Amino acid sequence: MSARSGWRGALRDLGGALLPLSVRDLERELDDRIRKVPTRLNEFGFDPWGLHPQTVRDTILPALALYKLWFRVQTHDIDRVPAGRVLLIANHAGQLPFDAAMIAMAMLLEAEPPRIVRGMAEYWVSQLPWVSVYATRGGAASGTPDTCREMLEAGECVLVFPEGVRGMNKLYRDRYKLMRFGTGFMRLALEAQAPIVPVAVVGSEEQNPGLANVGRLGRALGMPAFPITATFPWLGPLGMLPLPVKYHLYFGEPMQFSGAPSDEDALIDAQVAQVRAAIESLFERGLAERRGVFRG
Amino acid sequence: MEKVLITGISGGQGRLLARRLLDTFEVCGVDRVAWEGRPKDVNVHQVDLRKRKFEDVFRTEQPTAVVHMGMVRHFRVSEQVRHDVNVRGTKQLLDHCVNYGVQKLIVISSSYVYGAAPENPFYMDEDFPLGASRSYPEMRDLVEVDTLASAFLWKYPHIRTAVLRPVNTLGYYVHSMIGEYLRQARVPTVMGFDPMMQFIHEEDVSEAIALALEHGLQGVFNVVGPGAVPISVAIREAGSQAWPVPEFVLRPMIDRAFRWGLVPYPAGAIDYVKYPVTLSGKRFVDTTGFRPLFGLEEIFHSVRR
Repeated sequence: MSARSGWRGALRDLGGALLPLSVRDLERELDDRIRKVPTRLNEFGFDPWGLHPQTVRDTILPALALYKLWFRVQTHDIDRVPAGRVLLIANHAGQLPFDAAMIAMAMLLEAEPPRIVRGMAEYWVSQLPWVSVYATRGGAASGTPDTCREMLEAGECVLVFPEGVRGMNKLYRDRYKLMRFGTGFMRLALEAQAPIVPVAVVGSEEQNPGLANVGRLGRALGMPAFPITATFPWLGPLGMLPLPVKYHLYFGEPMQFSGAPSDEDALIDAQVAQVRAAIESLFERGLAERRGVFRG
Repeated sequence: MEKVLITGISGGQGRLLARRLLDTFEVCGVDRVAWEGRPKDVNVHQVDLRKRKFEDVFRTEQPTAVVHMGMVRHFRVSEQVRHDVNVRGTKQLLDHCVNYGVQKLIVISSSYVYGAAPENPFYMDEDFPLGASRSYPEMRDLVEVDTLASAFLWKYPHIRTAVLRPVNTLGYYVHSMIGEYLRQARVPTVMGFDPMMQFIHEEDVSEAIALALEHGLQGVFNVVGPGAVPISVAIREAGSQAWPVPEFVLRPMIDRAFRWGLVPYPAGAIDYVKYPVTLSGKRFVDTTGFRPLFGLEEIFHSVRR
């Protein structure tokens, strides 16, 4: 392990001391798993899009705590994710992208070989100080189709939420209802000939129940949405904290589509509908199997 | 033997290129300043691109190929002078190329013409619109030079014209803005931002230009080096220390410092250390088989303080 120094190291040590032994043991295992990630890095440890596994390693503790202790994530059939290029298509909910972080953690901790999930960030993310840096170091890139295609062609595992912000800021009454899907991911899958693995996240849809979304206020503040929840904005930043719901991640069978990426919308829509249906049937299974929103 | 005329031959990149081409070409050049210690068979004409005497060089030397890299890329002169030398000078040069039977023309533009913006995709190709002047008005003359040359390419297809856009160029000889930036003892950066940056070694840029000449390239080409690193790594590897400053302090600070002549770049340049400008060099590699010789470590080593 590398030597730690300065306040960052101290903070990390403090964080580590507060966590139970099981999580700290896991942290040690991480080095090994990160080494096994098939991503190619240059002599300074970066990939072409700015991913830096060492930064992932150094900042993973909070995500690890969320994964193990807060959301107590349970994965189902993660071995269905094939090696090599693959698109993970998941539902998006919960006001803040904890679902993305938990899918990424699952792929790093439990998939074989371990993978670093590449995400497509909203482009306004690249304007936020620090957020932009850590998003990039963790494997995200501001979302343009070209970047996504190049990542797939390099054999990466790319996560897309076709609902986008429509999903992330959906209201509580719409939980487990998939919002309109964008079609870009399907054209990319066709272009890169990448298999699609549908992923259903059960739990995130209840983590921070949205009561209303004041889109106009959000736009005025330069954000894609402005959610009103039971706790936000009333409690300030603290109100962004999610409830300790139990997360289940269900991975579906890989789906391979064929056709021309430039096909007309009607054809693409039909293929998108198949992915949507696959997520919905995973929802059904997940909601029937779980014992409660918070209980394991 | 082909005869190549290099504008800006006395600059760091010009000298390297002249030496690189000496075996296969007859080399002559123009520059406003002399080249002390130049190889004896290289003729350097001390003229200004804007002056009549520049045309005389074409008349007397009769070059078959021209490499145009004699732009003013620094801000130590007024905007008017920069515009005059860069835009009008380039226009004159293009006219002379037509009138004096030049067969090959290479114009050295740069990756900066694309501009730095948050919505930039990674690894932009040559068809991406040139956005530099949107937030960096001081750069508009260089964007215009690129556009002039690209238009020329279509207008005079019988002259093999290539516009090269190399990424951040570093090396011992070349004077580049990015080199000056990295070599500061304390390098101001935008707090909370650390974009990926591509670099190429000056020798590889010379090699790329030589390849473009040999192949008689026609078109617009990004020229990309061995890879990209975050700017913080580049600063560290250059032996300097990053000095992160919040943007709302940095902008007015650089703005004033530039006006007082304390820093060599205006505030518009800040975007280049805030947002990524990364290029795809695929087109150039596919046409010429170019492979950069110098790795990232060697590149940074060459500018180490």
